[in-house]
Amino acid sequence: MSFLSTRWRICVMVTPALLFYVPFVVLPVALSAYYSLTSFSGIGRSKFVGLTNYTSLFHDTFFWISFRNTGIILVEALILLVPAAFCLALLMRDRRVPGAQAARALIFAPVIIAPILVGLIFVFILDPNIGLVNQALGALGIHDKPQWIGGATFTPYAVGFVYMWQTMGFIMTIFYAGLQMLPREVFEAATVDGARYRDQVRYITIPLLRDTFGICTVLVITGVFRIFELVYELTGGGPVHDSDVLTSYMYYLTFTTFRYGYGMALAVVICLLSIGIFSLYLFTAARRRDKVRMIGNE
Amino acid sequence: MVGAGIVLYLVTFIVIVPLLWIVLLSFENSSRILSDPFSLSQLSLANYRSVFATVNLLLLYKNTLVLVVCSVLIVVTVSFMLSYALTRMTFRHPLIRSGLRTLFLSGLAVPVYILLFPVYKLDIAFHLFGTYASLIVPYVAVQISFDTLLLTGFLAGFPGEIEHAAFVDGCGLYSLLRYVVAPIMRPALVTVVIFNAVYAWNEFPFAVTLIQKPSLTTIALGVSEFQGQYVVDYGAMMAAATLVLVPQLMFYALFQKKVVAGMTLGAVTG
Repeated sequence: MSFLSTRWRICVMVTPALLFYVPFVVLPVALSAYYSLTSFSGIGRSKFVGLTNYTSLFHDTFFWISFRNTGIILVEALILLVPAAFCLALLMRDRRVPGAQAARALIFAPVIIAPILVGLIFVFILDPNIGLVNQALGALGIHDKPQWIGGATFTPYAVGFVYMWQTMGFIMTIFYAGLQMLPREVFEAATVDGARYRDQVRYITIPLLRDTFGICTVLVITGVFRIFELVYELTGGGPVHDSDVLTSYMYYLTFTTFRYGYGMALAVVICLLSIGIFSLYLFTAARRRDKVRMIGNE
Repeated sequence: MVGAGIVLYLVTFIVIVPLLWIVLLSFENSSRILSDPFSLSQLSLANYRSVFATVNLLLLYKNTLVLVVCSVLIVVTVSFMLSYALTRMTFRHPLIRSGLRTLFLSGLAVPVYILLFPVYKLDIAFHLFGTYASLIVPYVAVQISFDTLLLTGFLAGFPGEIEHAAFVDGCGLYSLLRYVVAPIMRPALVTVVIFNAVYAWNEFPFAVTLIQKPSLTTIALGVSEFQGQYVVDYGAMMAAATLVLVPQLMFYALFQKKVVAGMTLGAVTG
């Protein structure tokens, strides 16, 4: 609309956003990158140390522990959460199941709850001594109860479970919406041709929902990299960082031990990792889509 | 298919049980929670009484409400104006428009944690530290990207003929935006408001980093302090958690249809 687009008007419309965004998003990213190259400790001058922080990170055991934990949660979420949410969405669509509407609303409820509160709630579910799970196991007569949180092995898996508990409804709803938008005629034709439900799902539904699977995968990946409150509440980073994830370790470095430069280096690494995985996924998804398009054009 | 129903109910049960457990525990005495939590005798409101005496819930709610209302109003207005400019207006140089668009959308890839420390320094430098603004400004800044994504997507989806007609009838820019564009965009605007409100309400990383004064504590920050505050008074902790949980769930129950519709709108178009 060029009649509206005087320079003045454009400025008026765009400047407020810039005033917030540039100083508080763009500038901080640049500042973080800068600090990551120094040995800043919060006060006084900073000393430029180049890539030392990054090499130290490479040799830092705790970094690799938190990296491993984040990886465990990521794999757990991708393998369990996305397929399970998809199956649930399919179940929701089955008209013969009563109460599907109510179930949908209930399963979605955790998405709204503050993550910090979810963490607190699950302390009372998973704690080895006072948690519901182990209390129930005890009532059933089992005495060798696993250490769900606070122990060395199960903790990342437990955190992953809590993350899935909170996010399941969200991903399921996205699939449900995607399913709603599929054309009914294709399925009717398939049924007429004798295709079983199982085959219809495998050969029609899933390929048609390719983009939705893509969106959900991206959401889960970026979501896992943002997990912070859950770990903060459930374990506080675990005995000596055993259950730290990348973000909570970074928080510890920056705000608890005041090693700002080092902490910012880790922040930059996290940023690059999540952007990297994100782009990798987009890249492979785009390739697949182009291949489909090419086949469709033949 | 009976199997489908059973699986569904089972999953719903697993999802609900933690919440029900918390509410149940909130009526129990702390020592009972440790020894015999499953029994339903001796339930009382004692925990709630002690919570009201210790935690200033009113303050937490007030602070959170201020942050939510201010940040949502500002970010939606700002993003709305930006999105309209990016989709409907012609720029002197087409590169400026795509450049701006890339600038704002790339914010989606930035994890919040990388911003914590620099924003902390900036708040101090701008003398915002210790005020509501110290949080409102970052909340607005980090949500512009998402809002812009949704709003530009929505705007791009329908042509500007109505606006053109309004302009021909003598409508100025402000009136155009307020009386023509905004009503048309209501579904997208509602979605964006809900997302932003939930974000600000639950926000923790910025809150825990930037809030030092107890008088500014938000609900999320308050919850994180329950464990330290109540130590082993589990009953009180559960009562406090329930008092935070129930309003959130009530809000959800009221707006449930809109929330879910908004999420799907965003996911499918965005």
